[in-house]
Amino acid sequence: MYLPSWFKKLTRRRRFDDDDLQEEIRAHIAIAEAERMADGADSKSAHQASIKDFGNITLTREDARRVWTPRWLETIRDLTSDIRYAIRSLSKAPTFAVTVVAVLTLGIGVNAAVFTMLKSIAFAPLSGVKDSAGLRVIFGETSVGRDVGLSYPDYVYLRDHDTSFVGLYGHRLTTLTVGRGRGAHPANGEFVTGNYFELLNVKSQLGRTLQPADEAGPGRPSAVVISDALWRRDFEADPAIVGKSVELNNQMLTIVGVTEPAYHGTIVSYDVDLFLPLMIAPDLGLMFGSTEATPSGVFADTRANMLYVLGHLKPSVTMAQAAASTSAIWADLSRDRAFWAQAAEVQKLRVVPFLQYPTSAQATVLPMLIALSAMGLLVLVIACANIGGLVTVRSVSRRGEIAMRLALGASRMRIVRLLIVENLVLAIPGASLGMFLAARAMPVLFGYAQALAAPQRLFFNMQTDALVIGFAAAVACGCALIFGLMPALRSSKINLVDVLQDASPRGSGRGRLRSALVIAQVAVSLILLVGAGLVTRSLDAAEHADLGFKSDGVTAIRLDLKANGYDEVRGRAFYRQLLDAARNQPGVESASLATFAAPTFIETKSQRVAIEGYETRRGEDLSMLSNIVAPDYFRTLSVPVLAGREFDGHDDETATPVALVNRTLAQKFWGSAANAIGRKVRIADGAWRTVIGVAADLKYTRINEAPRPYIYLPFLQNYNPGMILHTRGAGSMDVLIDQARKAVAALDAELPVVSAHSLRDTTRGALIFYTFMSSMLFLFGMAGMALAAMGTYGLVSYTVRQSTREIGIRMALGASGPSVVRTYLRRGLMLGLVGAAIGVATALGATRLLGSFLFGVSATDAVSFIRALAVVLGGVAIATVVPAWRASRTDPLRALRHQ
Amino acid sequence: MTLHSTRPDARTDLLHGTLDMLILRTLQWGDQHGYAIAQAIRSQSSDVLQVEAGSLYPALQRLSKKAWVTSKWGQTDANQRAKFYRLTPEGKKQLLREESRWTELVNAISQIMKPAAPTGPSDK
Repeated sequence: MYLPSWFKKLTRRRRFDDDDLQEEIRAHIAIAEAERMADGADSKSAHQASIKDFGNITLTREDARRVWTPRWLETIRDLTSDIRYAIRSLSKAPTFAVTVVAVLTLGIGVNAAVFTMLKSIAFAPLSGVKDSAGLRVIFGETSVGRDVGLSYPDYVYLRDHDTSFVGLYGHRLTTLTVGRGRGAHPANGEFVTGNYFELLNVKSQLGRTLQPADEAGPGRPSAVVISDALWRRDFEADPAIVGKSVELNNQMLTIVGVTEPAYHGTIVSYDVDLFLPLMIAPDLGLMFGSTEATPSGVFADTRANMLYVLGHLKPSVTMAQAAASTSAIWADLSRDRAFWAQAAEVQKLRVVPFLQYPTSAQATVLPMLIALSAMGLLVLVIACANIGGLVTVRSVSRRGEIAMRLALGASRMRIVRLLIVENLVLAIPGASLGMFLAARAMPVLFGYAQALAAPQRLFFNMQTDALVIGFAAAVACGCALIFGLMPALRSSKINLVDVLQDASPRGSGRGRLRSALVIAQVAVSLILLVGAGLVTRSLDAAEHADLGFKSDGVTAIRLDLKANGYDEVRGRAFYRQLLDAARNQPGVESASLATFAAPTFIETKSQRVAIEGYETRRGEDLSMLSNIVAPDYFRTLSVPVLAGREFDGHDDETATPVALVNRTLAQKFWGSAANAIGRKVRIADGAWRTVIGVAADLKYTRINEAPRPYIYLPFLQNYNPGMILHTRGAGSMDVLIDQARKAVAALDAELPVVSAHSLRDTTRGALIFYTFMSSMLFLFGMAGMALAAMGTYGLVSYTVRQSTREIGIRMALGASGPSVVRTYLRRGLMLGLVGAAIGVATALGATRLLGSFLFGVSATDAVSFIRALAVVLGGVAIATVVPAWRASRTDPLRALRHQ
Repeated sequence: MTLHSTRPDARTDLLHGTLDMLILRTLQWGDQHGYAIAQAIRSQSSDVLQVEAGSLYPALQRLSKKAWVTSKWGQTDANQRAKFYRLTPEGKKQLLREESRWTELVNAISQIMKPAAPTGPSDK
């Protein structure tokens, strides 16, 4: 290669040439040798003297090279040599290294898992959407603080006038039936405004997304955008999917596009598969509670609560400003509205962060996640205390080495750096393994949740991304610094003379640190155990909770007649025949239908209610939940009817409209169950209904809800295509479920069964979050406890081992083995008691955090506290007795010679 | 004068500076190879200053890096191969700077060690 001579000169001058230097050194020695020979020395001795005179050739070369190395490169070289040294010295203590890595793996793994969950809820809740946590939600609030959607005209006004936001889109979750016949299934869908995809910056991988043109007017175009998952699941990833039709709620719609794979909709925990223009909602049967008959009427109706409105704030706008400007716009908008506007209607608009989206998964789960994170951090604290203990113990045995280094002139900084590097060498594999553990565990946990939630499809943004990796790295470094620095600083302050003279290590300072570590671990593990105990007991209580009905021996077969295109006449006939067939099956005692199976866990939509003889106070929002049930429902579920009768076959379309209410409603408005019979209630704008019976209360949504008023409507007067078939029988559940399936298939072989479980399993499914969180907390408690037990054992037994000499002296002076053991046991238990006292005090305050998912036990439940205390003190006792007993069995002479 | 604790070869700039100055000074009388530079410093200081090869060669590298000297392989008077160093114009300027700095320093130190006016009988 040709190079200009000046360039060669430049590079020659600027680079270190080791060969050249070696040549120069050889020449130097040769000249010195020649001079010595000239002075009369013989060739051999002249050669040796010259080499000796030159000194350390390698060191000279190194120093010469160093002149040319940039400072940063040298730092890296120092660092790599530190790392190499650390690995070498750790490989000499493999048990120590493996223990630390294992403890860290557990600690960091637990926290990475919790953080991943926290991320999927709080930091990056929506996959495929940038800054999804920064979205703000606008919704209406009634006088009693019930959240409702905005009407379409209100949304449009807000979109066009609210300058606080970059843009505002509206959406509404729905469940649709996809397809018809055997392959039909339910899927989550979002009705969205035309600017939805544009504002979220979500693109399509095939075809197009929805556009403002799709919002031009009611009805057409009947376009739908499908998710990547649905495209792969139902359409075998057909590349020519765009333009094909899909049947939704028995309407044919044209697929215009497929979203990017990462996108799963904007409703946390729901895996959304269908994105539909808002304008076709009435065509698919959604009227949003409007009394208008035509789609254009629905979209002009300011009383139709349909949309939750979302958008990002403009960069300089604060939440307070946005709330103020939104309120001002609302004041403008509602000025001309009749003052008598129903109390159940929007009274004011609220602007909240995405995290507080009303009744959303993120808002519901967050308190649990915070409790979980706190538990996770406690586990980490234990892990750090644990490793801190190990490192301290090890640093004692390394005092000689460190003192030697100091004596040889290493600076304290240099030694501290070496020790920190050593800790990082341990922390990095710990963090990586922890991440791996978390990444492997999350899908398992998710699969468990998904199985319970089926056929509802779940999705959480739980990928291991840069955020999660960053978190794990930060935690690892933090841990390395914390558990490393304390003993490191300690070691570098060593008094050289003491150590080199090998004074026996019984510094009272270190003893105090060890005691503090034991106390801390005992305290923290007690807190964890109390937490785990409380949730276990609540879970137990929840499993046996009285929900107001008997689920044993009852099936729950979910059907949706939309899946096979039934109209109302055929649907009524189908359900009548189905009930007849089911009741006639052998072993079936009774059968009925219902829209909801309590507890639903998800808050079903409540509706405005009017009650005869009850004047609503101004601003009172009287809205309640209701259920549509067929005759024999209360008998089938063993719900006592306290007054009157339950629905029978005569309460049909031709009879007077009737209803049942629950005991709470009857007592609240009419004084007693008996008084309720013959009174009238009305739901929304429907007919007035005569109350014919009063049923006992159930737990309608959650097991820990307060009694709430509830209304039952007869199925024969209120047809609904989607119902749950309940059959009760004494035989095996599997047989009952199978019989029910057969009854359905006999009537319509093409009708898919949405789900078929025992009612008990359905109930359990409703407790899924509860179960999930409780199991996690229990696991954390156990992990923390295991770590703390290990750590306490290690520290205590180390202390005892250090005292082998003391034990020897005592025994030589005539102390008996048991008395020695007793002495150490007393010491150990003292530490344990102090730790336990601190732990109990802290736990009494901290368990309030768990309040939201405790059931049937108080946060200060004595049983949980006593159990935790027993376990912790038992652990400490074992950790003390075993090494003390072993020490007391050693030969006093050997013990005295120890060290 | 900074202290770099991480560089064992860089205890003080003063020491480096002094050796560098001595080398530059030696080269002022003509091109010279490493061994001869060390010998020259030794003999001119009446055997007081013994420059070890372990310091000399890194110093020469330092000076080359700063382009105060250049080097070239050649033959000694005794017909031996050796690498000769030559002062560059920048090296000459540097030497002048070092000399004045040195003079200042020596004056300052001698003022302290041997005050100009003898003040008492304590002077031996």
